[in-house]
Amino acid sequence: MTGRVCRGCGGTDIELDAARGDAVCTGCGSVLEDNIIVSEVQFVENSGGGSSAVGQFVSLDGAGKTPTLGGGFHVNLGKESRAQTLQNGRRQIHHLGNQLQLNQHCLDTAFNFFKMAVSKHLTRGRKMAHVIAACLYLVCRTEGTPHMLLDLSDLLQVNVYVLGKTFLLLARELCINAPAIVPAGRDGVRRKCCTDGGPSLHLSRSTPGSTVPRAGRPLQTERAFPSLGRSAFTAALRQLCDPCLYIPRFAHLLEFGDKNHEVSMTALRLLQRMKRDWMHTGRRPSGLCGAALLVAARMHDFRRTVKEVISVVKVCESTLRKSVCFRLTEFEDTPTSQLTVDEFMKVDLEEECDPPSYTAGQRKLRMKQLEQVLSKQLEEVEGEISSYQDAIEIELENSRPKAKGALASLTKDGSVEDTTSSLFGEEDAEDEELEAAASHLNKDFYQELLGGGLPGSAEAAGGPEGGGGPPALESLLGPLPTAASLGISDSIRECISSQSRDPKDASGDGELDLSGIDDLEIDRYILNEAEARVKAELWMRENAEYLREQREKEARIAKERELGIYKEHKPKKSCKRREPIQASTAGEAIEKMLEQKKISSKINYSVLRGLDSKGGAGPRREHARPQETAGARRLSRRKAPASTSGADPVAGVRKRLRPMVSTQPAKKVAVGEQALLPSPPSLEAEPVRPTSAVVVESGPVSYHPEEDADEEDPDEEDGEPCVSALQMMGGNDYGCDGDDDDGY
Amino acid sequence: MDADSDVALDILITNVVCVFRTRCHLNLRKIALEGANVIYKRDVGKVLMKLRKPRITATIWSSGKIICTGATSEEEAKFGARRLARSLQKLGFQVIFTDFKVVNVLAVCNMPFEIRLPEFTKNNRPHASYEPELHPAVCYRIKSLRATLQIFSTGSITVTGPNVKAVATAVEQVYPFVFESRKEIL
Repeated sequence: MTGRVCRGCGGTDIELDAARGDAVCTGCGSVLEDNIIVSEVQFVENSGGGSSAVGQFVSLDGAGKTPTLGGGFHVNLGKESRAQTLQNGRRQIHHLGNQLQLNQHCLDTAFNFFKMAVSKHLTRGRKMAHVIAACLYLVCRTEGTPHMLLDLSDLLQVNVYVLGKTFLLLARELCINAPAIVPAGRDGVRRKCCTDGGPSLHLSRSTPGSTVPRAGRPLQTERAFPSLGRSAFTAALRQLCDPCLYIPRFAHLLEFGDKNHEVSMTALRLLQRMKRDWMHTGRRPSGLCGAALLVAARMHDFRRTVKEVISVVKVCESTLRKSVCFRLTEFEDTPTSQLTVDEFMKVDLEEECDPPSYTAGQRKLRMKQLEQVLSKQLEEVEGEISSYQDAIEIELENSRPKAKGALASLTKDGSVEDTTSSLFGEEDAEDEELEAAASHLNKDFYQELLGGGLPGSAEAAGGPEGGGGPPALESLLGPLPTAASLGISDSIRECISSQSRDPKDASGDGELDLSGIDDLEIDRYILNEAEARVKAELWMRENAEYLREQREKEARIAKERELGIYKEHKPKKSCKRREPIQASTAGEAIEKMLEQKKISSKINYSVLRGLDSKGGAGPRREHARPQETAGARRLSRRKAPASTSGADPVAGVRKRLRPMVSTQPAKKVAVGEQALLPSPPSLEAEPVRPTSAVVVESGPVSYHPEEDADEEDPDEEDGEPCVSALQMMGGNDYGCDGDDDDGY
Repeated sequence: MDADSDVALDILITNVVCVFRTRCHLNLRKIALEGANVIYKRDVGKVLMKLRKPRITATIWSSGKIICTGATSEEEAKFGARRLARSLQKLGFQVIFTDFKVVNVLAVCNMPFEIRLPEFTKNNRPHASYEPELHPAVCYRIKSLRATLQIFSTGSITVTGPNVKAVATAVEQVYPFVFESRKEIL
């Protein structure tokens, strides 16, 4: 009021009208300020005699409806839209939160989550309702309120898994560690008792005052588990998990009347017990709750059918039944089941049980071990048998040679290997006899030998006498798999080699035949003519209607085409495949990308390009040296634009060359030469372009990129490589205002 | 427990998905009417073809792209794909077997111990997420391998990854963490 000076006339006499909220210079009459925010509250009387507060309401979220001072039009608009989104979100959060009976604190937290999500653009591509539900659930989790994702999905009529997906994404992106199960336990229970309306009342009213409050632990938590012993209580705190949270709520919904508390306590105890007996991990909390509640209700002589429970906990009937039955059967295995109902309520068993699946697994493991032992024994027996087999064989061979005569001495010792050697030569038979006799003593050694000399022995055994005995059979079978495996490895090698060869191979089927594909079998997959005809007929009959429709459609299209009213369906834009950008350098690639994508329609791309070449002049000095090798190519390229350039491109060429020429002398001689070359042609070209002189004269950057794209390409190739991506950015900044910055 | 850590883990590959191209358009109706082992889904525009050896199911699109599922090793997937290409050739298409690629591998693996899921999730926060309301398993993602593991409380682990090697490394990587939060046997 006092220290202010009018901007218009410099006068200091400024009148400030608090009621209207503006400041006016009395000297020149210019309004200096509009919508001043004042701290005092004033009231005015209106014509009707009533009074109202002066001013406008400014909402918590800042801008609201007040027109912001200064700032561009666009910025302002953006803010408005964002504010609107937030406002909508707030409203919906309140709406949904009230349905869930969440308190204000939770709603505010949810709104904050929502704001974070909006600012991270996580709302895009997702339904608003889903995001809001996810935010609310996130709060439920962090605050430990007894709500399930299922409740939200029930309210919104959306699939739980869709919500779950959104929720997980939000949690991940916002880096919020929703306390899965463990850490929030203590807080969770306390808050639950505070926030949850109905059941908590029951709890606090009817709890016996016998528990002694311990320091450092919230009293309410104690009360929530009055009948649990100390160990159970700590266990509850240690791994207090979702199911416990829901019990009071579900119990309330099941309407147990006066006994509500007792039933829920029993259910809680059951749950605790289940937890300690490892029955709850990996199972749905609501199902567990349902099972516990059902059992608890029956323990207290309430008649609640499975259906009633289902309607509350919202799991499938079979799930609940299964979980009740199985849990009960699993429960049977635990010591707890030995207790009567009364005992169960009083006694806390200290020991924990192995999880049911674990015991089942153990049983399986034991079976496996047994199997292993058995198989080991089997092997031993087999070994014994084979040794017997050998013995028998020897006996056989000993008995046979008498008839054979000539081979008698060779086969006497029964060594099959011996016979093999006999084929090679009989002169050293005697030595071998000794050797074989020695090896004969050592069965194991012998067997090894047999294993080693399989193929040979097979032939040999088959040769002298018809029946080679078991080892011969074995050896006959032996080579088969090895051959097969060889074939397989061959085929694999084939695959590997064919993979590299494939793209070039025009026929492409050569390698398919070779690599173990059974054509005969494939033929069996293909119907013969008669079968195909039958199938075709069947199919035609089955799809007669569709075929008719197709025919009608075709006819209609043909007719329309004749009449000339047929509208061709434009191929979708996405169908148009962009050819991959082929560029030798990053700069070029970016340029091409920019051309394709058109980051902003407001950018004058031709100006941009002009800047590129200018910007490129600087760094070229450093880049030129390594590019020496390309010198020859460059030379021809350089010449090309000048000689082929029509009227239009000249401007571009000239424009481009100017900085180049100026910088060239600094380079190495060779490059300098080449660089200097183009300038004379371009100068020569200048007089040739009178037809489009206007275009050229209209400014150095006014040429159209489409027109001279062809001719420019070679030119670009030496201009572009020098332009680093960074410089292009810099060029962009200069060339156009603001908008394109967002693109990066 | 130490003995357990010595036990070699069997990673059982249950499914390998691969894709390849035939470089030619395929007349689906022709395949449908002349093949014996096909299901033609006209409304979707694809043909399902099943092979016996190796046991694979292929989805054939008229563009010539084919997806094979059901193989149990990368080699088998390749073999099956080639056989499929061959049978398409037999049906009279100019098939060129190109762009073969294994896309996805699914494997299961059993830990010899129970896993405390809550504890495990707590210790491996950014990677692991446990939502018993949605799924009984912990979802553990390894970004670098593009592998996802579903870890169940019973100790069985389901792994999906882009190839067999990634799957194996994923299991190797996650093993120490899982071992940390195993259920002690009392």
